[in-house]
Amino acid sequence: MSADTDPDGEDAREKLIDLAAEFYDQFEDGEVPHLSVPTRTKSNIEYDEESGVWVYGDRESTRSANSVGGARKLLKATYAIEFLAKQLDEDRSSTLRELYYLSESWDEEEAQFNSQDESNGLIEDLEIVSGVKREDFHMRPEESGAKVMGPLHLREQTNRGDRDIHCQEDVGQGGYQIPNNPDTIEFLDCDAAFVLAVETGGMRDRLVENGFDEDHDALVVHLGGQPARATRRLIKRLHDELDLPVAVFTDGDPWSYRIYGSVAYGSIKSAHLSEYLATPEAEFVGIRPQDIVEYDLPTDPLADSDINALESELEDPRFQTEYWREQIELQLDIDKKAEQQALASRGLDFVTDTYLPERLSEMGFL
Amino acid sequence: MSFQSTLGEEESVAEELAAGQRSISIAEFFEKNKHMLGFDSGARGLVTAVKEAVDNALDACEEAGVLPDIYVEIVDEGDYYRLIVEDNGPGITKEQLPKVFGKLLYGSRFHAREQSRGQQGIGISAAVLYSQLTSGKPAKITSRTQGGTEAQYFELVIDTDTNEPEIDVDSTTSWDRPHGTRIELEMEANMRARSQLRDYIEHTAVVNPHARIELVEPKGQFKYERGTDELPAETEEIRPHPHGVELGTVIKMLGETDSYSISGFLQEEFTRVGAKTARNVVDNFRDRYFGRGMSWSVPESGIEDAVAAAVANKSSEATDSFAAAVVEALKDAEPVSHADIVDAVGTAAEDAAESFGETFGATVRENAVAAAWEAVRENRTGDCERLVDAATTTRKGEDAVAGLAERIAETFADADERHRLTREELAALVDRAADRTEDALGASFGDTARENVVEAFWERAETVPDDPPNVSEMVGNRDAVAELLAAMTATDIMAPPTGCLSPITPDNVHAGLEKEFDADFFSAATRDAEVHGGDPFIVEAGIAYGGELESEGKVELMRFANRVPLVYQRGACATTDVIGDIGWRNYGLDQPGGSGVPNGPCVVMVHVASTNVPFTSESKDAIANVPEIEDEIELAVREAARELKSYLNKRRSMQKRRQKQDVLATILPTMAEKVAEVTDQQKPEVGDAMARIMNNVLVEREIADGTVALTVENNSDTAESLELTDIVSTETEPEGLPEDVRAVEMDGEYFLTWNVSVPAGEEATLEYDTDADAFDLSVDGVEDAKLTISQ
Repeated sequence: MSADTDPDGEDAREKLIDLAAEFYDQFEDGEVPHLSVPTRTKSNIEYDEESGVWVYGDRESTRSANSVGGARKLLKATYAIEFLAKQLDEDRSSTLRELYYLSESWDEEEAQFNSQDESNGLIEDLEIVSGVKREDFHMRPEESGAKVMGPLHLREQTNRGDRDIHCQEDVGQGGYQIPNNPDTIEFLDCDAAFVLAVETGGMRDRLVENGFDEDHDALVVHLGGQPARATRRLIKRLHDELDLPVAVFTDGDPWSYRIYGSVAYGSIKSAHLSEYLATPEAEFVGIRPQDIVEYDLPTDPLADSDINALESELEDPRFQTEYWREQIELQLDIDKKAEQQALASRGLDFVTDTYLPERLSEMGFL
Repeated sequence: MSFQSTLGEEESVAEELAAGQRSISIAEFFEKNKHMLGFDSGARGLVTAVKEAVDNALDACEEAGVLPDIYVEIVDEGDYYRLIVEDNGPGITKEQLPKVFGKLLYGSRFHAREQSRGQQGIGISAAVLYSQLTSGKPAKITSRTQGGTEAQYFELVIDTDTNEPEIDVDSTTSWDRPHGTRIELEMEANMRARSQLRDYIEHTAVVNPHARIELVEPKGQFKYERGTDELPAETEEIRPHPHGVELGTVIKMLGETDSYSISGFLQEEFTRVGAKTARNVVDNFRDRYFGRGMSWSVPESGIEDAVAAAVANKSSEATDSFAAAVVEALKDAEPVSHADIVDAVGTAAEDAAESFGETFGATVRENAVAAAWEAVRENRTGDCERLVDAATTTRKGEDAVAGLAERIAETFADADERHRLTREELAALVDRAADRTEDALGASFGDTARENVVEAFWERAETVPDDPPNVSEMVGNRDAVAELLAAMTATDIMAPPTGCLSPITPDNVHAGLEKEFDADFFSAATRDAEVHGGDPFIVEAGIAYGGELESEGKVELMRFANRVPLVYQRGACATTDVIGDIGWRNYGLDQPGGSGVPNGPCVVMVHVASTNVPFTSESKDAIANVPEIEDEIELAVREAARELKSYLNKRRSMQKRRQKQDVLATILPTMAEKVAEVTDQQKPEVGDAMARIMNNVLVEREIADGTVALTVENNSDTAESLELTDIVSTETEPEGLPEDVRAVEMDGEYFLTWNVSVPAGEEATLEYDTDADAFDLSVDGVEDAKLTISQ
């Protein structure tokens, strides 16, 4: 039922000021100013058995004013802290891209960002070190979150006032567009039985057109490829707060399996937030390699990059269940991949009439 | 036309030609070949004249032990140029002066085998000749010797027919210099060579830092002050080295020497030849002159009887004893040559005479020798086999080896009776035998195989004990002298002594460059002496870099030989070649294409000092490409360049450090300000943080309750030693000072001196008590850029 836990942004602001204060103390003590953050690379990702999600390991990178590069980074961090504090004070928000452009107006040339990657990375640093989500800094990414269609009644806090929305009756064909900070949503009422997260827009539209959400009381969530944080956050909230089981329906290729992975286990970039964003209980519907064979779907051959990805997934701790191993090895054998929309080869309604009902029953969702 | 009549005609043509021939004087020759002396053009002529005069002045001053003061003036008289060179040398005597200036090829320099500038030139008289030819005016010379009351004044020209001075004026005059020489010449010239002239004077100043030189010419005045008061080391003349003389020279020397024997001659007339070396040379000579005597094994049996049989009219006792003694001696001396037998027989004969009282006279000995020798040399086949076998590879078939050995043994029958042969004769013998073996057996012996066999036999042969001819016998015998020379060349002889050389030395190379170039960095290297063609030489190099030197364009290259600048023919000089071949990028200079003279704000100088500097041509402007000299030039330049490289590296890292400091000096305070703003506090101090970042040495003062604590923190990665001087404003002596800290009172203040060494990453603290509240701290021993003082 949660809404924004920090409406005035006071907590977030305090944490930011604390960071600045640390630098201050370092100066006063005559120490070399520095900032330590966990290393955010594949080599420092650990699979946490308990929570079932990806978290960062023990490796740290230190940004130190020891070198010209490090000093610049810290200077930019300080400027960013000032900006964010002010933003929170004024209850404004901005996108990551806007931050990058904004920096160009800062008086100190050395503090300006050279690329958006740089400013994005810095915001992540601040997130991790301060323990405050960037949403709580009022920082938004470019990519918009998912569209939801289904029997869910919610209330959203917007800067123009609260809005009550039913995700079937109050929305158009496109569904409900979730906000960047899904924590501003309060769930009022839910008649859904489960969540079906769908990778492609085409498949999502097919499901809506065929009335899948009405027929099966499903909350259809469009992932839109690699899902945004907001989407993952929402799915987790739907699962945790509304006790809704989550099924993920993607194409049948290794990249799509990773999409499932990020919903279920977390991503490298935001591993510090896995607990907040990941839904370990989410299950994978398909397209499975086994489905390709069974339903004789139209396919494409596996490219070298696909094969490499599959093989690296065999090494991936998350996919080291017997189930996945079987599927992956099967796919390597048949050397084929298929899109979810290939089910249309069996007729436009095949997916909603046959495939999904069968699969979901097998999985215990229906 | 009969043959006879045409003959007569030919004779008259020859006679005609003969009638037209006559000798010309040296002066006349040079008159017609001015370019050979460096007087080919008006511009060049002026430089050469200056060079001759200045060289003489420097040489003279050095010999007299006087620090040279040289004044060169060039005046434009319209049609001609007047050249004046004045020095403070020892002066020239009245008797010598006309000859020095008025006679070509007169001088002390040409014969001396020591390093001298004068070796480079034909002498000042050539300049006199050139002047009189072009301007018609005589040379005007003023000279005053040390101790002389008045100066001599001469006006003279050279009589080109006789090569003698023609004196127009000869008088005395008063002169304000206590001693010295002044030369005035009027000649046709032009100042197109102005830059070469200035370069010449400037370079001369660099390479002679003990000299003070002034140049006044129509468009400029230049003064080059002394860089040192040290005169260059005196050189000693040395005798020639056996490896550096030619045949004609040796013949001449033999004719002139007082020595009687060759051995004596070698030791007297040459350098580095002592008794042992002389013996080695003479042995080598003997081998060439007499040949070596082949030695063979002593036959197992029969030789004793043969010797005994050859002895007539002696008691059988004596005979047997004699024969036995001979054979025993021979067996001891195995393998034996004819000379060994003569020796053995001689000794045995004496013993026999002593023991038996019977004289074994010359005839008996001769017969005994002949008999023994006969027996020995008949026995040679086995030896030949062994020698050939050992000398040839296992690839040669047994038959071939045996065949060759057999034929060699056979061929010895045609050789000298005593089996004496020179190496050439031995080689020919082996050749003949090998050819015959080839013909007979089809087994071929290539050049290497033959050479190995010859070598084996030659090793086995012994040097003969004959006395070499004495000197007077040698003089007329050109072939013998050639063999002597070959022997000298073949013998190992120690390199010549270097007292004949006077290098500039690294300190003076440094001083010379420093006084003339406004540069940031100097380095110099002097190599050890080496030898080329029997003449010792030393190479020195120097580098000046940075400062006011022009950074665009090529490095300035200064070349010197025997302290004389080489101004022309840079492209032909070995120095230029060597410098172009060095990869200068490795040493920090830009070198497009990786070869050729590099670019940069740099001066490279190379000095070759030798008793005989090899030049490419008679104009003596470029050093010849002699490998030994080129190697040394390269090594000297690289030595100096290595220092340049470390200097440039250090400079680069200091620059990077400064840049880092500059950037951080902007960033850190800004960050501190921003941080202060955000946290709403006073701006914090960034000094200490900066010090730590810059890996600096941080010196901090803390005062608490009358106790001062000075802490030295070494954040760098090398140990640092510092001297801290703390000036404490108090009239009472600070207390609690450790023993090694001195406290000195001056003008109402106390100066505390603390010497401390701090290892990398550590700190040291000095504490003392005082009531003062004003302090002033200065620190020595750490570069300013690396030091942060926080009072």
